[in-house]
Amino acid sequence: MLKPSLKNAPLISLLCWLGTGCQPEMPAEVRSGLVYCSEGAPETFNPQLVTSGTTIDATSRQLFDRLLDIDPISGDFVPALATHWEVREDGLSYTFYLRPEVQFHTTDYFTPSRPLQASDVRFSFERIMQTEHPFHRIGGGDYPYFQTVDWGNRVSRIATPAENQVVFYLRQRDSSFLSNLATDFAVIHSAEYAEQLQQQHQPQRLDSHPIGTGPFRFREYRKDGFIRYYRHNDYWGTPSQLEQLVIDIEPNNAKRMARLLTHECDIIAYPRMSELELISQRPDIKVQQQSSLNVGFWAFNTSRPPFNDARVRRALAMAINRDAILQSVYFEQAQNASTLLPPSSWGHHPEIALPSYDPDAARQLLSEAGFPYGFAMTIWAMPVQRLYNPNATRMAEMMQADLARIGVRATIVSLEWNAFRRQLRLGEHDSVLLGWNADNTDPDNFFRPLLSCNGVESGTNRAMWCDPAFDALLGQALLTDDRSIRRSYYWAAQEYLAEHLPLLPLAHGKRFQAINARVGGITMNPYGGIDLSGAFLRQPEGAP
Amino acid sequence: MAKFQWLQQKDELGPLSQLWHSFRQQHAAVLGLILFGFFALIAVFGPLITPYDPYLQNPDAVLLPPSWDDAGDVRYLLGTDDLGRDQFSRLIKGASYTFGIAFMTALGALLLGFLLGVLAGMSKGFRASAFNHVLDLALTIPSLLLAIIIVAILGPGLVNTIWAIMLALLPQFVHGIRNSILQQLEQDYVIAYRLDGANNWQILRYVILPNTWEQLTVLFSMALSTAILDIAALGFLGLGAQSPAAEWGLMVAEALDLIYLSPWSIALPGLLIFVAVLSVNLVSDGLRTAMRKRQES
Amino acid sequence: MIWYYLIRRLFLLSFVFFALTCFAFSLGYLFPGDPLVNFSGISQPDDELLPVLVQQYRLEQGYLQQYLAFLQRILQGDWGLSLASQQPVLHEIIRVFPATLELVSYALFISFVLGVPLGLIAAIKANHWTGRAISSIALLGYSLPIFWWALLMIMLFSIGLGWLPTSGRISVLYEIPVTTGFMLPDILMSGQTYWQAALQDAIRHLWLPAFVLATYPTTVMIRFTRDAMLSVWQQSYIKTARAKGLSRSQVLYRHGLRNAMLPVLRQLGLQFSTLVTLAMITELIFSWPGIGLWLLDSINQRNYPAIQGGLLVISSLVILVNILLDILYTLLNPLARKQVHG
Repeated sequence: MLKPSLKNAPLISLLCWLGTGCQPEMPAEVRSGLVYCSEGAPETFNPQLVTSGTTIDATSRQLFDRLLDIDPISGDFVPALATHWEVREDGLSYTFYLRPEVQFHTTDYFTPSRPLQASDVRFSFERIMQTEHPFHRIGGGDYPYFQTVDWGNRVSRIATPAENQVVFYLRQRDSSFLSNLATDFAVIHSAEYAEQLQQQHQPQRLDSHPIGTGPFRFREYRKDGFIRYYRHNDYWGTPSQLEQLVIDIEPNNAKRMARLLTHECDIIAYPRMSELELISQRPDIKVQQQSSLNVGFWAFNTSRPPFNDARVRRALAMAINRDAILQSVYFEQAQNASTLLPPSSWGHHPEIALPSYDPDAARQLLSEAGFPYGFAMTIWAMPVQRLYNPNATRMAEMMQADLARIGVRATIVSLEWNAFRRQLRLGEHDSVLLGWNADNTDPDNFFRPLLSCNGVESGTNRAMWCDPAFDALLGQALLTDDRSIRRSYYWAAQEYLAEHLPLLPLAHGKRFQAINARVGGITMNPYGGIDLSGAFLRQPEGAP
Repeated sequence: MAKFQWLQQKDELGPLSQLWHSFRQQHAAVLGLILFGFFALIAVFGPLITPYDPYLQNPDAVLLPPSWDDAGDVRYLLGTDDLGRDQFSRLIKGASYTFGIAFMTALGALLLGFLLGVLAGMSKGFRASAFNHVLDLALTIPSLLLAIIIVAILGPGLVNTIWAIMLALLPQFVHGIRNSILQQLEQDYVIAYRLDGANNWQILRYVILPNTWEQLTVLFSMALSTAILDIAALGFLGLGAQSPAAEWGLMVAEALDLIYLSPWSIALPGLLIFVAVLSVNLVSDGLRTAMRKRQES
Repeated sequence: MIWYYLIRRLFLLSFVFFALTCFAFSLGYLFPGDPLVNFSGISQPDDELLPVLVQQYRLEQGYLQQYLAFLQRILQGDWGLSLASQQPVLHEIIRVFPATLELVSYALFISFVLGVPLGLIAAIKANHWTGRAISSIALLGYSLPIFWWALLMIMLFSIGLGWLPTSGRISVLYEIPVTTGFMLPDILMSGQTYWQAALQDAIRHLWLPAFVLATYPTTVMIRFTRDAMLSVWQQSYIKTARAKGLSRSQVLYRHGLRNAMLPVLRQLGLQFSTLVTLAMITELIFSWPGIGLWLLDSINQRNYPAIQGGLLVISSLVILVNILLDILYTLLNPLARKQVHG
């Protein structure tokens, strides 16, 4: 050991300077900044345009607010930008009263002249609904979540009787309407900013340089590098204690974990399940977990043979050793799925059992279906880690081995995530390992995106399954607010799925987050994206 | 007397034995040769001696540490990976992939390169000059980068990697062989032979070939170490061998996810790549030294 | 004489660039998919744009016209759009390129500072244990697979000891605007009050990648310096100089080193291409936002316009460095100048 004597002083300062020996004095902007290491780059900064969890995590709750939120514990609706709301007797109109003095972000590209008004809310939703709206086509014209819930046909118009009042008129009763408004996709933009952009002929900046009312304001984005947000000082809620929030993008699981261990990241998204136990033993790291509304599944492309034959799908389902997968891929940190809905959802059907693991019966079923010698197929495995599937490639390898036993020769296809989704849209897959995170507590949020005909078009239904009988069940379930009636429809839907198996549900994962022990105030939601505004940093003991 | 006899004996030795004689005196080179032979044996007979099928997944023995660890299992000498596959068997299998395929690739490049090099060395005029320029261009593009581009065109996969690396190694062979042929052609004895009425083929067969094989060996050993490193690097980058192949570079890449959980699964395959390349480089160095000594004597 | 040589080099350079652009152009056809998409990077050109593009890229004409149009676009700086980001490829390259240059030059610097003296020692003490030790270490370093070496370093210094960060050029919490693209000058020009802390942080980030990348060129440098010195040491002019009564060190510096460094300089050019490839892998492992990481990402994303552009830039850089070093070598070495037209 070097003793700090006079002789060694130059050496020590040199070492300090070269950054090995001692911790440098950090400036305030850096000291009170949080680094969240995300698993992928956002596609856009407008949550309306996506369903991807990565984009939602990075943008929605940090930059924007919704009219209302869902209390993570009770599941009740709580006020956000709207302080209260009224529903007309027939359920066809909803009136929202806006919170006064809600300020939009002030950045180097926009300075708001007025607080939030009803016109901002109207702008945000009309952009989605009206195909002739000047902003509708900016950013591609796809609003996948809203298309899936058939927003355009359900909401007839939006009125603004006063500066602080917004009225939504519906064509038919929709018991999931408030849930949809509380999702991370239903964010409120600034109409004034949009106007300014239109004058500058740069409307596309609305989605790349966002202005919202959320706890942080946008500062810069280096493509595939990082996103920098600063605190929104005039936030209407409790302002964040963080001076800045940086979202560092690192798709590689191992590197994200390494950065947590070296304290380059304060929070990492999707830590590897296998390492959770080991890292939670370290004093500088804590692991948070939260059960979550999600499902991981294996979807068959029902639009192409032989997967349009329910017997083939059943045979493939029987060939898979799901217990082994639960052990090796989820490390027992997930619930075995028997239906699309997790047991914690009120629509869950408790008595459904999926076909059990039986290679012999599977082989027989396959020859009944006309494939005594099996066939060749592709398994597309998503390249990123998700709650519902922490390691799809590994899972695919195990399935490959299982399928070989019944004579099915599977090839694994794995591409970079954006390319993967681009190619999936073309429907060239035979089967794919994917999953779904709920955006709200409504069971409709599982069935409709994943298996309705609308979902085929909007690109969330990768089983390419379009069954009018099934769609009718889903539609009927929305016509009433009576939970027990709705439940019976959803039970029927689950029975229908168990019979036809357009996809094989595998597991309901838990959400994990590995956090540096100095970070506090992170609460987790059972659904939707992460909210970092409540985070604070404990300064190390002995620091000034 | 003894000394005299020894000298006489040395003179009687053929060039090959002379080379071996001075090669044998370098301990490091001999060690390299032994290692090299060891890897070659494993690459050929490895599949026969693996205790387990390298692709067999055992869900009951996942992520076991090596057997000398407290938590280890004697049945799995070097532990298992996260799918319960035996590391020891996979590492042995990897010798056929990384070392064996690199050997075949370098050999293929040698044969092709020899053919082209002879053509280039024997031709003259504008054709030769244009050829030289193309060669210079190909030489400046690093072999791995060239391989990466070829893989980008053909798509990832082990077979494509082999073609890519073979193509990428080709320029240095052609260059080396052409240069040594040109050097030979300038020699007095070639001119004398030519004056005797020998044609190109005869010159090639009886003069040039016997005098360039040493050069070829050195070129080959250099190419082999490049090939091993390139195959492993491409496997690591996810462009070469695809999982579940037990290729060493790919194994390092897959073990990256376990960097904290089981550091040995990164250390071992990498160590094998390192030792394999080192053995080739030791032999290569030893050969060159031996040749220099022989030429000096 | 020297002008003749330079003109020949210039001719060679233009020929090589011609061949290179031909190759890059043919990639548009060699890559899977529609050449129009591969050239333009517009993944789904609509019906209005399609004829315009076909016209602009002269796709309805022969290959020669297409090539000329390609050349024109390259010279005008229109390198197509990246399929992944829909940003101009050239802009992306300009954004990432300085980071690579920075890393490579630090590694080269380290390899010079370490490699040349070590090589000299290895040559002078060739039969002493120090010389042998240096040579053996050089051989070991020469055989290291760089990705494994980098991981070992991370496991030891970052995860094990917790001394050094593993990724990027600077902690993301420091806001350093991009002006030159080179991190250290950018920090000095940023005008941030915390520039000193930022500089310190940037240097902490530099250590591991620069050291790992420097391993290979350092060992090469040691080997070449040693070999060159050994062969120079046997030249008659060294013996003459010694005979004249010059001291060992005088001979070493005045006659030995100068002459030994010439071939080393030349080898440097040949090794530069390897260095660039190694830099790509180093960038990948340390998430260093340079052209290598960008190119590898592009390959994973099947981003053909970006691969094409990246290849063009990297190869041009390698060729330019090669030819420049070759010219430098010739200018410094009278013997080589005589052989230039041989």
